[in-house]
Amino acid sequence: MFPLFNHIKNVLYVAILSQLLLFSSCTSPSAPTSFTEDKDLPTIYPDYIGVTVPCNIAPLHFHIDHEAEATDFVTRFTAGGQQWTLDGEDVCTGMKKWQKMKDAALAADGKISVEVFVKNEKTWQRQQPFSITVSKDSIDPYISYRLISPSYVTYEDLTLNQRCLENFDESLIYGNMINSDEKNGQCINCHHAQWYNPQRIQFHVRQHLGGTVIAYDGKLQKINLKTDSTISAGVYPTWHPSKPWIVYSTNMTGQSFHTRDINKIEVQDTKSNLIFYDLEHNEVTPITRDTTWFDCFPFWSPDGKYIYYVSAHWERRDTVNMDFELIKNYKEVQYNLYRKPFDEQTRTFGPRELIYDAVARNRSVTLPRVSPDGRWLMFTEGQYGVFHIWHGDADLFLMDLTQAAPVEPTPVAIFTPDALPAGAVPPTANNVEREAAADSLREAQGLRTPLPCHIRNITELNSPDVESYHSWSSNGCWVIFSSRRTDGNFTRPFIAHHDGNGRFSRPFELPQNNPQYHREFLRSFNIPEFLSGPVTIRPQEFANIIKKDPIPAQLKMKRQ
Amino acid sequence: MKPIRNKLSQGQPSTSATSAPLPKKEGQSGGFHSISCPRLWNWNVFIVLVLLASGLVLLKQETETLLRAQELNLWLPTGLYWKTLMQYPGGAVSWLGTYLTQYFFYPQLGVSILCVLWLIICLLLVWVYRLKGAWRALTFLVPAALMACFVQTGYWLFYQKLQGHLFVPTVGVLFSVLCLVVQRLFDNGLNDKAARWTRLGWMALVCIVGYPFFGAWALGATGLLGIYCLITPVSPKEIPSSDSGILPFWKRWEWVPLLLALILIAVIPQIYYQRWFEMTERPYVYLAALPSMHYGQESFEQFRIPYYAIILAFLVVNTVSVCEGLTFAKRLKSWTKGVAVVLLLALAIFGVSKAWYHDVNFQKELAMNRAIEECDWERVLDIARDGSSEVKPTRQMVMYKNLALFRLGRAGNEMFTYPEGSTPQNAPWKVHMTQVGGKLIYYHYGKENFCYRWCMEDGVEFGWKAETLKFMARTCLLNQEWEVARKYLDLLKKTTFHHQWAERYARLLDTPDAFDLKTLEATAKAGAPIMDEQMTREFAPIMHMMTYPDRLDGDNTLVEMYLLQTFAHGNGDDPLFQEMTLICALIMKDIDIFWPRFMKYATMNPNIHMPRHYQEAAYLYGHLENKVDISHMPFDPVVKDTYERFMKFNEQCGPMTEEQKAIAFYPQFGSTFYYFYFLVRNQKTN
Repeated sequence: MFPLFNHIKNVLYVAILSQLLLFSSCTSPSAPTSFTEDKDLPTIYPDYIGVTVPCNIAPLHFHIDHEAEATDFVTRFTAGGQQWTLDGEDVCTGMKKWQKMKDAALAADGKISVEVFVKNEKTWQRQQPFSITVSKDSIDPYISYRLISPSYVTYEDLTLNQRCLENFDESLIYGNMINSDEKNGQCINCHHAQWYNPQRIQFHVRQHLGGTVIAYDGKLQKINLKTDSTISAGVYPTWHPSKPWIVYSTNMTGQSFHTRDINKIEVQDTKSNLIFYDLEHNEVTPITRDTTWFDCFPFWSPDGKYIYYVSAHWERRDTVNMDFELIKNYKEVQYNLYRKPFDEQTRTFGPRELIYDAVARNRSVTLPRVSPDGRWLMFTEGQYGVFHIWHGDADLFLMDLTQAAPVEPTPVAIFTPDALPAGAVPPTANNVEREAAADSLREAQGLRTPLPCHIRNITELNSPDVESYHSWSSNGCWVIFSSRRTDGNFTRPFIAHHDGNGRFSRPFELPQNNPQYHREFLRSFNIPEFLSGPVTIRPQEFANIIKKDPIPAQLKMKRQ
Repeated sequence: MKPIRNKLSQGQPSTSATSAPLPKKEGQSGGFHSISCPRLWNWNVFIVLVLLASGLVLLKQETETLLRAQELNLWLPTGLYWKTLMQYPGGAVSWLGTYLTQYFFYPQLGVSILCVLWLIICLLLVWVYRLKGAWRALTFLVPAALMACFVQTGYWLFYQKLQGHLFVPTVGVLFSVLCLVVQRLFDNGLNDKAARWTRLGWMALVCIVGYPFFGAWALGATGLLGIYCLITPVSPKEIPSSDSGILPFWKRWEWVPLLLALILIAVIPQIYYQRWFEMTERPYVYLAALPSMHYGQESFEQFRIPYYAIILAFLVVNTVSVCEGLTFAKRLKSWTKGVAVVLLLALAIFGVSKAWYHDVNFQKELAMNRAIEECDWERVLDIARDGSSEVKPTRQMVMYKNLALFRLGRAGNEMFTYPEGSTPQNAPWKVHMTQVGGKLIYYHYGKENFCYRWCMEDGVEFGWKAETLKFMARTCLLNQEWEVARKYLDLLKKTTFHHQWAERYARLLDTPDAFDLKTLEATAKAGAPIMDEQMTREFAPIMHMMTYPDRLDGDNTLVEMYLLQTFAHGNGDDPLFQEMTLICALIMKDIDIFWPRFMKYATMNPNIHMPRHYQEAAYLYGHLENKVDISHMPFDPVVKDTYERFMKFNEQCGPMTEEQKAIAFYPQFGSTFYYFYFLVRNQKTN
């Protein structure tokens, strides 16, 4: 055995020595002094070219995508007259250097200039420099999200995670496998915090040991929100900004699958209403109960005076099964944006007001989210349906609430491609492009109501692929939103700076320590939401409360 | 201070009633000293030969399984992959398991690695337990149990959630044995006091540090160390004497390590559950990195027997080690030992053969699957034609066969000339085609979204595999989803053995026009094909099948029914697609659907001789219903003649039951549509 040990020892010595040599040779790479200029910007992933980042963001590590013949890479960062040089195709500054860069940039013009040098054979080329702007506006230090495969029916391990945006620390809030086994699967979803407060959060547990878990200032409870008079337990939540009240939608939801369309999945509601839950008294009160209206995705305005939500009208037309009828006519289910005034004293909701008649534009909206200052409302718009994460045409829109007023609904017209002149719509490559072309044509022909002037497509945030879930940072300076722009299938969080006037900077993908992380990772980031700090309740504590029987909520039939 | 061990090493006999400590010279050398002894060397050769034979048998019997196993495996040299596995206790053993499983890409190489690892386990056990003579051969019991774990796999190949499960037991056992080796090296190199404390320390280290990496195998190693310490005293001389000169068994210090082992085994997983692993259910902390023998709501305990056999094999080896020090064992003649060993080995071999999963259809399914992947359609038919077994085919095999015939353009003439059947897959749970061969079938029939869906469902439930990523990449290419196709191909490029495959398909990302059927066929016709010949052969027919409009749908996990229904009710102008609608109308025996498809086929293919089965169906339906005038149709004489003979024979067999008729008609009419229509019924699909 001893000769073997000696051999291993020798190998280790050589390895350590070579690593030391390598390290010493790599600690201070220098940028080439002679090089030719490339007219193109570097192709880097994630694409951080020209982005604006918060002053407290984690390092923007990136990978240089290159041709096979490129052999060496040097990247030089310049900020406030100081320079840092790194080599390699993975450009990882690390925390300390990145902090220095940000400090230097903030002390100067706020810019970090980045030059990428690539060596092909024996000559160096400098690609077009780009800059990263460091904003003095900070961002909430944490986000929460669910990690889930973009799957159809099955699920295995699902996790609610939290990530510190100031570094790369990621931890679990709760993972379903701690309470699942082969025979008893458990789904978790719809995490949501009250006004960014990590001490006041809720999420749902479905199937095995089901219930709604609510953490409120250290008190953990599991509630059964299903009552005899409601469609389901609570689904999509929104906390009142300060009181222990949550409004939920209650939904009967189904899934079906596209045979050819690359959107792949349709998630549809066959029923949905709104309920009000009073945590203090453990009471559920229905808000809406009309079965011909599908009310969904409520959001409480920051002043607590309104509930914004989306709603679609659907009346059963024939005698076939309701689910089947909806599947058959799925493109006809379109959602408008509504709101209901809320009286905090009486805890009652007023009559609904139509805020945006998307159906008149042959569109469908979802996920209204109001900025913390109450001025802006961001929502997602697609052609039909409410579950836009599976709709390639889904884009983010912004409404200026200072100019918003209730509108009268336009009589509904059914839009079909047949209504257009033959050959008017070019046979472009995909459905999204086809629909967009058809929409432009309809608008040009006056067949469609134009977009109201206080609403705009946030083109600076949108991509040809899906943009869906979004939330505002607590200071209103940042938004984080889900997008499938990277590959069309896996949802990634993107962050963009808001200038306070309804304009956004170029968005950037959530930074990761491994620059290729998003490319390698086979799960989606679902519902990214800001938190003012970490959730300190441990997963095991959640697991323990989930093991217990849920407390049934009491039905209170008052508010209509 | 002079170590007491040195004194003992000068040949003092053991006072232990339970073990025979090794002469110290031998122990201090720390090597396989006894290999130089010619007589004992023979038993080592015996072990080598038995393992060699095991490897050869594995190769002969399980080559298809091994090849598929590596396709249903994924190992990536990335930090993310490691981190993903390490979310659960025992992640490292899975990591190593998946790493080694990929070597089945070359079955000989994979099996050689497996056998070498088994040999290492045997030799290390011989050394650790100081086994002599024939007893050495008993170490083969451990690889025998490991082999039983391996060969019982069958359809678990598709349903096992533990990543790298084929190699996990071997890696786990090797880890345990290496822990014993280190323990023995400590024993040999340290004085008694230090050795005693080291034993406790090492055991604690194995359990505390080993558990996150090796899960239950680290607990097993801890237990083994406890038993090892019990049967191998540090220093018998230090034990205070009782009246008889030997301390009673239960008062000896050696119980302390065993007690500690038990405490560690009970406590450490619970501590990790509380402080570290947030994704493992409490009762499962003790079973981490062991294969789960559950599927759905059922548990299949019989598959755990080989795992119990591993424990039993170690107990036998430990017992033999103890017995070697006992007087009665020393008195045993060598032939007695030899007979005992041979009997035990025979029992082990019998056990392995009992555990071995033998199923002709399983092997054929695997072989057909591989042939389809290689677009070797003739080989698919050769396997379908193979009549070496009396067992009727599974529906999956029938579908593979029909796919091959369809690809070769011979379905209309030969579809009913092969054995029909609906033998369920030989597994104690209901095997769903979607989880086995359904993805391949969907892929080739142009149902790319459904292929993708089941890949995603499987990836989520059973973990990502090279095979799933390959399907996903190809379906995305066909759907013209370039970026996500690139994602899957980039992942495959990181693998050891699938990177060439990925690079070949990744080249298509640079030629998106290749997935436009018209361009593809025009360039092929012009002699400058945009894709290479093999890829054209793979993709072009699929693109022909993708000429149907989108709709919302679901298959309820029934691949065959879904395909039959959608194609039979489908209507397309592509010749291949149209023929498929006719084929499915035939299989569904639906006369109303058949006629329009038959007529359209005839119109679309005026220069093709109407295939036999289509003629048979038209002739039969024409007679059965008289809805369509067939009098002017130019049927082949053989079609008419067979029909007349069939009907006449039917009259002759009047009183027979349907089952009896099925047997009686088969020799004459088994290859006709008439037989299929009247006598092939109740084909249950899965």
